[in-house]
Amino acid sequence: MGAARSPRVRRLLARPELAAALGAAVLWIFFAIQAGEPFLSRAGTAAYLNAAAPLGILAVAVSLLMIGGEFDLSVGSIIGASGMSIMLLTTHFGWPLWPALAATVGLCLSIGYLNGIIVVWTGLPSFIVTLGMLFTVRGLTIAISRGLSGRTQLGGLDGSTGYEAARFLFASSPLPHFRVSVIWWIGLTAAATWALNRTRYGNWIFGAGGHAETARNLGVPVNRVKIRLFMTTAAAACLVGIIQAVQFNGADTLRGTLQEFWAITAVVIGGTLLRGGYGSAVGAALGALIFGLVRQGIVMIGVNADWFQVALGTLLIAAVLFNNQVRRLVEQRR
Amino acid sequence: MSRDPRLAVREISKTFGSVRALDAVSLDVRAGEVTCLLGDNGAGKTTLIKILSGVYGPTDGEILLDGTSLQLSSPREALARGITTVYQDLAIAPLMSVWRNFFLGSEPLKGRGLFRRLDPSRCERISREELAGLGVQIPDTFQPAGTLSGGEQQSLAIARALHRGGRLLVLDEPTAALGVRQTKALLRTILEVSQEDVGVILVTHNPHHAFPVGDHFVVLRRGQVAADRAKDELSQETLVQLMAGEI
Amino acid sequence: MTLRPPALLWLLALAACGSPGEHGEDVGATDRGDPTARAETPRIVLVTHGQSADPFWSVVATGARDAGAELGLRVEYQAPGTFDMVEMSQLIDAVVASRPAGLAVSIPDGDALAPSIRAASAAGIAILSINSGARVFRDLGLRAHIGQPERDAGFATGRRMAGAGVTRALCVNHEVGNIALDSRCAGLEDGLRDAGGSVLVLAVDLADPEDAQQRIRGALAREPGIDGVLTLGSAGAVPALAALAMLRASGGLDTTLELATFDLSLPVLEAIREGEMSFAIDQQPYLQGYLAVVLLHKAVQIGALPDGVIRTGPAFVTGDNAAEVIRLVGRGVR
Repeated sequence: MGAARSPRVRRLLARPELAAALGAAVLWIFFAIQAGEPFLSRAGTAAYLNAAAPLGILAVAVSLLMIGGEFDLSVGSIIGASGMSIMLLTTHFGWPLWPALAATVGLCLSIGYLNGIIVVWTGLPSFIVTLGMLFTVRGLTIAISRGLSGRTQLGGLDGSTGYEAARFLFASSPLPHFRVSVIWWIGLTAAATWALNRTRYGNWIFGAGGHAETARNLGVPVNRVKIRLFMTTAAAACLVGIIQAVQFNGADTLRGTLQEFWAITAVVIGGTLLRGGYGSAVGAALGALIFGLVRQGIVMIGVNADWFQVALGTLLIAAVLFNNQVRRLVEQRR
Repeated sequence: MSRDPRLAVREISKTFGSVRALDAVSLDVRAGEVTCLLGDNGAGKTTLIKILSGVYGPTDGEILLDGTSLQLSSPREALARGITTVYQDLAIAPLMSVWRNFFLGSEPLKGRGLFRRLDPSRCERISREELAGLGVQIPDTFQPAGTLSGGEQQSLAIARALHRGGRLLVLDEPTAALGVRQTKALLRTILEVSQEDVGVILVTHNPHHAFPVGDHFVVLRRGQVAADRAKDELSQETLVQLMAGEI
Repeated sequence: MTLRPPALLWLLALAACGSPGEHGEDVGATDRGDPTARAETPRIVLVTHGQSADPFWSVVATGARDAGAELGLRVEYQAPGTFDMVEMSQLIDAVVASRPAGLAVSIPDGDALAPSIRAASAAGIAILSINSGARVFRDLGLRAHIGQPERDAGFATGRRMAGAGVTRALCVNHEVGNIALDSRCAGLEDGLRDAGGSVLVLAVDLADPEDAQQRIRGALAREPGIDGVLTLGSAGAVPALAALAMLRASGGLDTTLELATFDLSLPVLEAIREGEMSFAIDQQPYLQGYLAVVLLHKAVQIGALPDGVIRTGPAFVTGDNAAEVIRLVGRGVR
């Protein structure tokens, strides 16, 4: 084994997405056999794709950041904050919907920017900085919501001006059962993959994660790249918050809780390394798909939804083991 | 040669607190030559390199690159001026492909506007050819740079520097972690490099590696220049004795 | 270690998970293994916002399963891991895709769950709501709701307290902003107002029981005229009992104060039996699960479904029947 393998095969095995692709295929077959026609129907397929889409949008952005060598644990709190921001601006302050969306996007980008400059200026691990931001943002969301409206859950977004256009863009069903969030997910994954693999910027992300000091010395603006990546994850979280606020016609202060961990799980299942410098946006998308398959699949076969966490934890470990095996094979020194 | 040396080090001193790491060190490095900087551990070689690569500033003295005085504020500036230092802790991202490492920070683009993109096949070819020019054969530069041997990785860093128009190449103990076969290959590469219009400083504490490739030898001892001889002025044994402090 | 063994083990493990027809929480079904019989045994699924490990909801689940056993139906219970409307709506989507015969849902947030519930109706599944959503179920196209309308229960409690001579009651709300709980206090006020009484709402945070206890004591100390205390959940009763015990011990309390709570628990029932608490308001969750299955069974069989709210409460547990109820709680049916 080893040196005799052709470069083509080697390159295929070296793809970070391999484990996730195989895992998704195996799971799909498993549920297709166990659940039968309901799983294969349009409603069944839509059930898991719709469930995967919000996580997929988040995971794609998080994968770029992790390849760049950093973590963002605050994305779940940003989802909550963006939802409540929209609701407070529209129902409490009476803004029309689209200005409220614009202001919310600005808020999220600011949080992302703040994450970025703190990490870059202080040199603290991004894990810690964004963990602090997780608590701060969530706390402020709850406190401000309670303070302004006395409530932790707000509804009635469909009463605001501009709702119909927002519904079309963020919460409609272009095909029966399938939500437009799936299109957002696929589109963003394609864009991220292209940016990562085909542009100079993508090479900078790999370099910043692989060997930041060298990249910096070679002229890559590592700090600027990282700040932009934090703003990207915040923007993705904002989009998820907007989609859910429009879809569910409201928001609550706890929305998005734990999503950062699911996102990191999906990204790692997809083949991205925790240490950075290696990974794939397509892998993260497949990780999110696996998440949706397992979550909805076990309900469709009648198993109690509580088993979902057991299944996902096992899959995570299995995927990482598999990835390591393959990488060891491929990277044997000559 | 009558023109200026590529690099002129003039009376460089460096003090750390009460420790005088370098004391009025002067030497010249000419383009197209390999200057070996030798000395035992603690002689001051590392300090000198760090000054040349912009990590420290000197306490005293000056450095001239092609006759112009140099005030380096950062490693990035040193690189921008064409001084590449290849440390033992290699400047390679091991999980990135060879060609991506090669072109990091200076990626060639094709296309226009929003669709400006990389050209992987062209990058692959150029990196492969540049490495071959140094005597290093890598059939597939899509493979992760971490799969290259230690010597090949050094050569990659060297080739990268040359491709970007390096003026001075500083190699810090390149053979220290290499086996016999890889050492031979790397020394061959260094000879190839010396054909280019580049000044090469080879830092090592191994005179048996230095002697075959060096054109000019500077021995440091306790922060001072103990000897500064051209190749035709000494033999390998003399070099060893100089380094051991016997002469 | 080569590539093959781990992948093979993985596949074997999945294959070992069983063939179609032998899985899931299908309690109460007959002829499980026979595919034709399986196709004929109707499947009823409950999707609620409370985990089956929660003591309240486990009684609901037990009621549902008992009905399933008696009628020969397959009954499944699904709930999200935490109170999460996004997850709950995805669960409903997955259950709908699996095409059960009947579906019972709780509706803690009508806005959020509307799309999923409407999709369920559109798919031709017999559907009713339980526990929460008495105000919104009609808007979502449902005919029947089984539960305890909150405001009415509060009203009945107010009347009962007024009958016992209460003129000013303290309503301890542990989640201000939760519409159901707010309605209970509002109903209490309605009930007391007729008899010339009034209500003071006190907000507490049950995450800090010590603090809750302090607040209750503080409110009672400030207003000696308060002669009735109502807590809105069995968890809230504990700090209230403790506060009263402390006040009694320090001699600062009128011993004829009426203490009551919503929902049952063992501490609550024991307090009633010992005379420390006057009564508890039981919404009889067992019936919510039991009747849901019974009614859906007929809806599936002959298309008949009652119209309106079927009240499972309030049922009052007093010193007279506390002992009997404790016995039934031990059996998990109350």
